Amino acid sequence: MSIFYSSLRSYLTHLDGRALGSLLNPTNPDNHSFAYSSNHYSIRKTVEKELSGISSFRNGITDRGQRAWVDVVVSFWEVVCELERGNTGRAVVDDGSGLELGYWGRAYTKMSAYTTTVSRGFINSGWQNWLLPVLYEACRNLRDFAIRADEEEKSVGKSADKLEDAARHLNKMFTLCLSDRAPLEESRKWGTYYIVGLLFKTYFKLNAITLCKNVVRALGATTTDMPPLDTFPKSHQVTFHYYVGVIHFLEEDYVNAEMHLNAALQLCQSGSYKNQELILTYLIPAHLMTTHQLPTNTLFTNYPRLKHLFQSICSTIKTGNLQAFDQALEENEDEYVRRRIYLTLERGRDIALRNLFRRVFVINGKKTRIPVDDFRRAMGFAIAGKNGGTRKEVEPEEIECLLAGMIYKGLMRGYISREKSMVVLSNKEAFPGTGV
Amino acid sequence: MTAPPPWRAVGGSGNSSYTAVDARRTLGGSVPTGGFSTNQTSPPPASAPATAPATAPGAPRTTFPDPLKQYVARTFEDVLPEDKKDVETELKRIITDAFNERVVWSLDWDKMPLPQTILAKKRAQMKQEMTPPAMASTTSGDTSPTAKAFGKFSISDKKRKSEDDNTASSSATKFSDRFDKRARQQSPYSSSTAIDKLSQREKEKRARRFGDGLQSVTPPSRNTSAMDIDGDQPLVGRCMSLEKKYFRLTSAPDPDNVRPLHVLEKTLELLKKKWREEQNYSYICDQFKSLRQDLTVQHIKNNFTVLVYEIHARIALEKGDLGEYNQCQSQLATLYSEGFTGHEEEFKAYRILYLLHTCNRADMNEVLALLTPVDKTHQSIRHALEVRSALAAGNYHKFFRLYLDAPSMGGYLMDSFVARERMAALACICKAYRPDIDIRFLTEELGFESDTECVQFLCDNGAADLIEQKSGDKGVPSSIRFQTLKAVRIFEEAKARAFKKVDIKGQM
Repeated sequence: MSIFYSSLRSYLTHLDGRALGSLLNPTNPDNHSFAYSSNHYSIRKTVEKELSGISSFRNGITDRGQRAWVDVVVSFWEVVCELERGNTGRAVVDDGSGLELGYWGRAYTKMSAYTTTVSRGFINSGWQNWLLPVLYEACRNLRDFAIRADEEEKSVGKSADKLEDAARHLNKMFTLCLSDRAPLEESRKWGTYYIVGLLFKTYFKLNAITLCKNVVRALGATTTDMPPLDTFPKSHQVTFHYYVGVIHFLEEDYVNAEMHLNAALQLCQSGSYKNQELILTYLIPAHLMTTHQLPTNTLFTNYPRLKHLFQSICSTIKTGNLQAFDQALEENEDEYVRRRIYLTLERGRDIALRNLFRRVFVINGKKTRIPVDDFRRAMGFAIAGKNGGTRKEVEPEEIECLLAGMIYKGLMRGYISREKSMVVLSNKEAFPGTGV
Repeated sequence: MTAPPPWRAVGGSGNSSYTAVDARRTLGGSVPTGGFSTNQTSPPPASAPATAPATAPGAPRTTFPDPLKQYVARTFEDVLPEDKKDVETELKRIITDAFNERVVWSLDWDKMPLPQTILAKKRAQMKQEMTPPAMASTTSGDTSPTAKAFGKFSISDKKRKSEDDNTASSSATKFSDRFDKRARQQSPYSSSTAIDKLSQREKEKRARRFGDGLQSVTPPSRNTSAMDIDGDQPLVGRCMSLEKKYFRLTSAPDPDNVRPLHVLEKTLELLKKKWREEQNYSYICDQFKSLRQDLTVQHIKNNFTVLVYEIHARIALEKGDLGEYNQCQSQLATLYSEGFTGHEEEFKAYRILYLLHTCNRADMNEVLALLTPVDKTHQSIRHALEVRSALAAGNYHKFFRLYLDAPSMGGYLMDSFVARERMAALACICKAYRPDIDIRFLTEELGFESDTECVQFLCDNGAADLIEQKSGDKGVPSSIRFQTLKAVRIFEEAKARAFKKVDIKGQM
């Protein structure tokens, strides 16, 4: 019991925000004894006693600051207590709603009260930004608890709305950080990107990606005294670049998507393969769209999950094997849709088609006049696939349509002469960027 | 983690936390039975001045019933630190009152709302109170049967009596002004001692009534229908006429103008018949809107509701009224997800086509994610998916084939973006074909019904000059040609314009 308080006193005295953050992490296993150190009736008195006369309160913040800390520690104890003592069954929570909540639901309720108390510390009691780690831990755990509570509710067939509630909390914390007008060196603005990261994560999980744009807009609107992004901790930068990149990706703005994702990849810690994989999941398709380039096999050897995800589809694009492409797309459809890359990868078919037509061109000895029918037959084979299957006849109009599409998109240079059923290709660089 | 909290295990030892609760047994009078005065704020009788509540000295030693102990334990189990004080005060008052009225042992503590609940309700109530001053005159003196329901908690009946002396001492202070207009209006002559207590008690009483889920507090000044929709009981209409003009409600619905379900069922049959016979869309749409409104205000949700929305959606589609269609569609999505059945696959297919119309890629991804393998085998959905992939691949050839071959109402929906896709296709064709192409080919490829229609479309887009008649050897016209090179710019611009203004009326 005393360890908690003595650490707390020591961290507060030495202004050690990071250590305070991990001390006030409710999932910290050391909290076991703290949870049993008191009860609901005496906790406040105990905390008041333990916190009285800490030196940092004396120099500067005084009574108000101390009261805030008492509130924070008491409501933190409530969280810990709920986690340690609350049994896993369902119980009616006396919040007036009369709703039955599960273990995590109750923990979430306490956690959300705790988060509010922490934010009050910043708003009303003049907490400085070295205490931001306390806010980070609160927000991170709030989100975790909400997710668990929602899973719990869903498993008993009830509606799950805790994560939405958590998102509202996080949004408030975002404003709390962003709108701080204290001098930069002690401003809460330094916490902005951490909270934004959590907020993005939450909105993505809630499938409310449009809400992310509001956040980005709010960030853009306060450029005046906001420190530049690259002065923030790298971890905050990586998360921010990643999500902004993905948002651009989903809006089909592949150029900006690539820029942000690339920035994220460059800044990402070399050992965090999982994060790199996540970034590459969007960077690979974005790069395919902007430059028509496919990842190398070397890349795949470093990231087995990406190999599983992209290798088959990439190789079919390379060879122009439409049948295999369709099959690869279909096989992974669920995963692609889940990661929201299906609609982009589907466009890879254009590149596959371009590569097929390019082969026709090369096989024809790079002649500039090629009958439409040659392309049609090639397409017939490509659709049927290598291992026989019935060769499918493609209508001449359809192949013309696809050729027209290639020309229109600038993947081929030339024109179609319908009268002569000929494709007339450009003398030089008939297939731009492919060396022929 | 699973160990019960020690203080709870002891069972109600939590009593220690409200030591200030003193039982007072000075107030005479028995536990009330059924009848009581509902004059909550009647003019102050001069009697019983000695019974100032809650502050009287406590009886020396009191025992508490077990349910009460548990009630207290429950109370403190979930108190937010910032609320603790208020909750304590509230709890104190509740228990004191219970003792005062000697119902401590008879009261069902298990069913008693917790102080937190009462406080929360009170706060909400306070807000409400500030608006309708009409309540003051109407609620008091109400001895109607509904008012009797107030008395479910014997506590509150009793309190109502003991209230009278307090009312006497209320005044027009700022506090009462804010929280209890009634008290102020009815006793302007009173002094200002127990005002705080009064409004607290008033609120508490109100809170109890609410807490018990009783409807009776609804002030009679509001009309009865308002009461109906306020509560859990949905309104049931009494209107018997089959047809009704749509009117966007600005106040609570009047049951006399709302048709009950069995009438609405007949209405639907009538509307279906009228639509077949008259095809008057503005009439039919108006009627359907009022039909939908009647369903909504009566909280009717069943397969019939689904049917109504489906039929209205189809009619709206037929007339190209996408705004109305989309309203129906979003309602249908909710209804299907709640388990009511209709033609879910058909409408899923429409949804896909509609998302193509609005170019909503994010939602399209969601829809694709939610499709089941069974869905994908359904004819309409398969068609819609093929349309989607044709558009994604820029395969206008296939797209216009699918357009001409759309199942159920899909064609109507595709009408809304076919013109746009024609421009896109023309931009593509004009860039790829040289030097000119046959109009016939365009007609075939772009799904026009005739060459004339095709030429008309080209002319409408300002490409009339680029159409020329070619003559055969003997001067006989052989074909109409369209010059592609110059048309590229025209259709690039037309395409850009067309994709820019996507109708997102009532977008969900």
